[in-house]
Amino acid sequence: MRELAEVLEDWEAVIGLEIHTELTELDTKMFCGCKLSHDDEPNANVCPVCLGLPGALPVPNRRAIESIVKAGLATNCEIERRSMFYRKHYFYPDMAKNFQTTQGPVAFCMHGHLSLEVTGRGAAERPACAFGEAEAASLASASANAVGLSTQMGAGLPEGATSPAHRETMAAYDTDSLALPERHEDGGYTVPIRILRIHMEEDAAKMTHMGGEEGRITAASESLIDYNRCGTPLIELVTEPDLRTPEEARLFMEKLRRIFLTLGISDCSMEHGSMRCDGNVSLRRRGETALGTKTELKNLNSFKSLHDGLAYEICRQAEVLEEGGEIYQETRHWEPSRKRTVVMRVKETADDYRLFPDPDLAPFDLSDEFIEHCASELPELPDAKRDRFEADFGIKRADAEQIAGDPATAAFFERAAEGLAGKAAQVVANLIVNEMAGYLKAAGTTLEASGIAPAQVASLAKLLAEDAISSNQAHEVFEVMAHSGDDPEKIVDERGMRQVSDAGALQPIVDEVLANCPDQAQQYRDGNQKVIGFLVGQCMKASRGSGNPKLFNELLRESLS
Amino acid sequence: MPFNLDDLTAAEIASGVAQGSFTATEVAHAALAAIDAREGAIGAYLELTPELALAAAARIDEARSAGSALPPLAGVPLAVKDNMNLVGTHTTCASRMLETYESPYTATCVDRLLAAGCLPVGKANMDEFAFGSSTESSAFHRTNNPWDPARVPGGSSGGSAAAVAAGTATVSLGSDTGGSIRQPAAFCGVVGMKPTYGAVSRYGVTAFGSSLDQVGPFARSVRDVALVMGGLTAGGRDPLDGTSQDASADYLEHLEDGVEGGRVGIVPALMDAEGLAPEVRRTVEDAASRLEAAGAQLVEVSLDHLEAAIASYYVIGPAEAFSNLARFDGVRYGYQEPGAATLAEQSALSRAHGFGQEAKRRQILGAYLLSSGVYDRYYYAAQKARTMITRDYLAAFEQVDVILMPPSPHAAFKFGELADPTQMYLSDMYTISLNIAGNPGISVPTGLGADSGLPVGVQLQGPAFGDRKLLRFARAIERSFADGKKSVLPVAPGCAGKGGELA
Repeated sequence: MRELAEVLEDWEAVIGLEIHTELTELDTKMFCGCKLSHDDEPNANVCPVCLGLPGALPVPNRRAIESIVKAGLATNCEIERRSMFYRKHYFYPDMAKNFQTTQGPVAFCMHGHLSLEVTGRGAAERPACAFGEAEAASLASASANAVGLSTQMGAGLPEGATSPAHRETMAAYDTDSLALPERHEDGGYTVPIRILRIHMEEDAAKMTHMGGEEGRITAASESLIDYNRCGTPLIELVTEPDLRTPEEARLFMEKLRRIFLTLGISDCSMEHGSMRCDGNVSLRRRGETALGTKTELKNLNSFKSLHDGLAYEICRQAEVLEEGGEIYQETRHWEPSRKRTVVMRVKETADDYRLFPDPDLAPFDLSDEFIEHCASELPELPDAKRDRFEADFGIKRADAEQIAGDPATAAFFERAAEGLAGKAAQVVANLIVNEMAGYLKAAGTTLEASGIAPAQVASLAKLLAEDAISSNQAHEVFEVMAHSGDDPEKIVDERGMRQVSDAGALQPIVDEVLANCPDQAQQYRDGNQKVIGFLVGQCMKASRGSGNPKLFNELLRESLS
Repeated sequence: MPFNLDDLTAAEIASGVAQGSFTATEVAHAALAAIDAREGAIGAYLELTPELALAAAARIDEARSAGSALPPLAGVPLAVKDNMNLVGTHTTCASRMLETYESPYTATCVDRLLAAGCLPVGKANMDEFAFGSSTESSAFHRTNNPWDPARVPGGSSGGSAAAVAAGTATVSLGSDTGGSIRQPAAFCGVVGMKPTYGAVSRYGVTAFGSSLDQVGPFARSVRDVALVMGGLTAGGRDPLDGTSQDASADYLEHLEDGVEGGRVGIVPALMDAEGLAPEVRRTVEDAASRLEAAGAQLVEVSLDHLEAAIASYYVIGPAEAFSNLARFDGVRYGYQEPGAATLAEQSALSRAHGFGQEAKRRQILGAYLLSSGVYDRYYYAAQKARTMITRDYLAAFEQVDVILMPPSPHAAFKFGELADPTQMYLSDMYTISLNIAGNPGISVPTGLGADSGLPVGVQLQGPAFGDRKLLRFARAIERSFADGKKSVLPVAPGCAGKGGELA
């Protein structure tokens, strides 16, 4: 198979995502009062409603509706005042009623968009030919086909369920805010991704198949069903097929995750499945307007899998097409260990889910007051926070983006960097992005659970900014401080780590090192600048790490000039 | 002279218990003795619950000894349709599919009547999953009409109607999806009411057509029906039913106020409809003139889209039934086919062998009607018709207080007489439109038919949430036909007096 970069020169990848997010931060399920929990005994949190027992009736969870409205507001969607729940029928025991309660053609949130800033190496995935006029034509043709592409509703809805009014509103995006991407000098670009809809539905139960091959139901000797998850409020976001590279897909998912985390509606754990993503991808020759046949990718349960699975599938489809083959509309499973996608099932005919409005649930008429109430509870969103961090603290945009994306980290940064700006604030940012993130990952813990206090990081940053310790020492101090909870000042003093930045105290060491290394000294004088690193190392060694390496560097150069 | 339950209204039982004329336990024993003596000839029940009745009675008697105020239906024997959950009973819906299914919780409507003091004596027979108009589709046994055992009691709430007509329960609960309370009430000569959709909680009542189903009471008098309505709506909106509304009120308050100055609608097209038995037509006309004599004005109204009602009903009903009954797959509860090799086979065979003919017919019809390609032609069209029928009623009730019409084209028919299901469907022509619109309706007996000698009666339909007004007009009709008696018709003669004496 050819490399992705090469393939994307000849072929345009048209990618759309369907992202399911469990509203894990709510107390109760979507249509009953059962507790939401990931780790209780199987079937501990069930009742007649979520078990679909005869006579039981659903009652919608108001807080779940608030959550989806917030998700819509945060992603620039139109909030539909009037929408309904529908029943989507299929026979499988993971849904106790044999239908899933979901939404119809009109979802709570319609026609939103998010802007993606694509920078760094990932930006190179989009070839130069995919900007300007070509991109305008590409977006226009993808949009025209969007009804057919938004897989779930397209497949299941009877014709009558999609009203002409709805089809007209497909052109209802706020196009003013959707500028076409342009490549900046640094190779980065910003691209708008349209969101078709975000709808509300209930999650299914978890099934475990015992004794069969690879956990599949086929040939399993028995199947266990845990209805704890059944009825968990789930929101599904469907993008337009506006993504063109695996990197854009990954960034979109990351961005959405940061927004949902900030809204506090979900723990957004891809690992535990509370945020799941399916990718739809098709290829067409550059310049073509007709869409190719798409495949749907499953098991993209990490950012890396999302990127690599799509990248593999794009290359696979290109190879098939280049060899004169045909792409079948099918669902494929990404196998991260073998780095390939394999067929799960072929969709020969569209499934008939017999969708119709749920007669147990009255249509919603959301009031302006309700929506205003949701809007008033919106926290500062990651993009706004990033811009503010960049402007107010003067830290690097990339660091601001990373810090602002996690609510706990952002709050931590604001306290640790309080009253700081410029270099001092950047030192705090560096500690958070590098030392702290690394520490938490290695320790397998969260910021909240670690007990690290903003004051500790502020104090450590101060030591660094004053050159009292080196960055290597800072690494060591961070470890100790995180474990012990001690103040960095105390750690540095106790361990005698305070960095000596007094030229008078360091000069004797420099003299001694130069005396001991006449060859290297001569090499420097002969024009070998690089040898200074070796000499600084010798000075550091002689001072047992306490000397300021920058000062050593200066003193060495002076002494040798 | 000793009391007999046959002669006592629910109100009289409650006040007798409250005043100490007899105990609730004595009432329970009398009801159980009546069941012993009469049930063999009727078959109104699928399950008898003497322990539950006696336990409820004991609680009431204890409350009285303790000096507590007694609830409004204290000691009143109650039969519950077998599609309603009641802990301590099976809820079979008269289906093999749920033959062994034990109620894991109690339906709100049943719970409220227990709180109102009722004694649950048993679960009443019905058409399987409420699909039918004769109770003949019960998977277990037939229920005979107490007035003529060769005839059906009507359906689908046939057991509930027959129990009250036979005097083995003083009041009962049924559910009405297309006439399933009003038609059997007419066949059995008792009062049966379908309240406004949303007035009574559906929580715990096995769903047939969720947008059509409504729970309501049977009794031998309008007053008792009003009393039960008070119990069913006490506590207001049920938080467990998202479609329920607060309809709590004193349903007795204006019951006797009469109809002076009221306007009663007559739909000429319905009176001239093909298949309407002359004796039924005559009694409706008779009722109209008696209302007029009582000071009401008769007004001709039209319901222009009524001819679309049956077609619309047989789209919406089966579509919702298909969806509601999809859960019966033999996986978690209910009939499970033994020895199936795969999950799909197990579900398919459990359903093939667990459901009866009519249940399968409706589900297959519903599955077809909702499938892509025909959805527009049927389901969408039926919903449009629904809107037009609802508008017709809204317009009619701007002109009149109630509409008077037959509850059924004819009196009770013989077993097997309506073998063609489409003939059976047509017999619902007078009741179905009301479920489509959601309005309340009540069936009131007027006596025995001149030709058939069987119970006949009339139906009154009212505006949405005009349930109390409807009862007032129903009471006026009852009063005009009852000749000073407590009810128009007594307990059916073949049953009356057998057991039921209060010691």
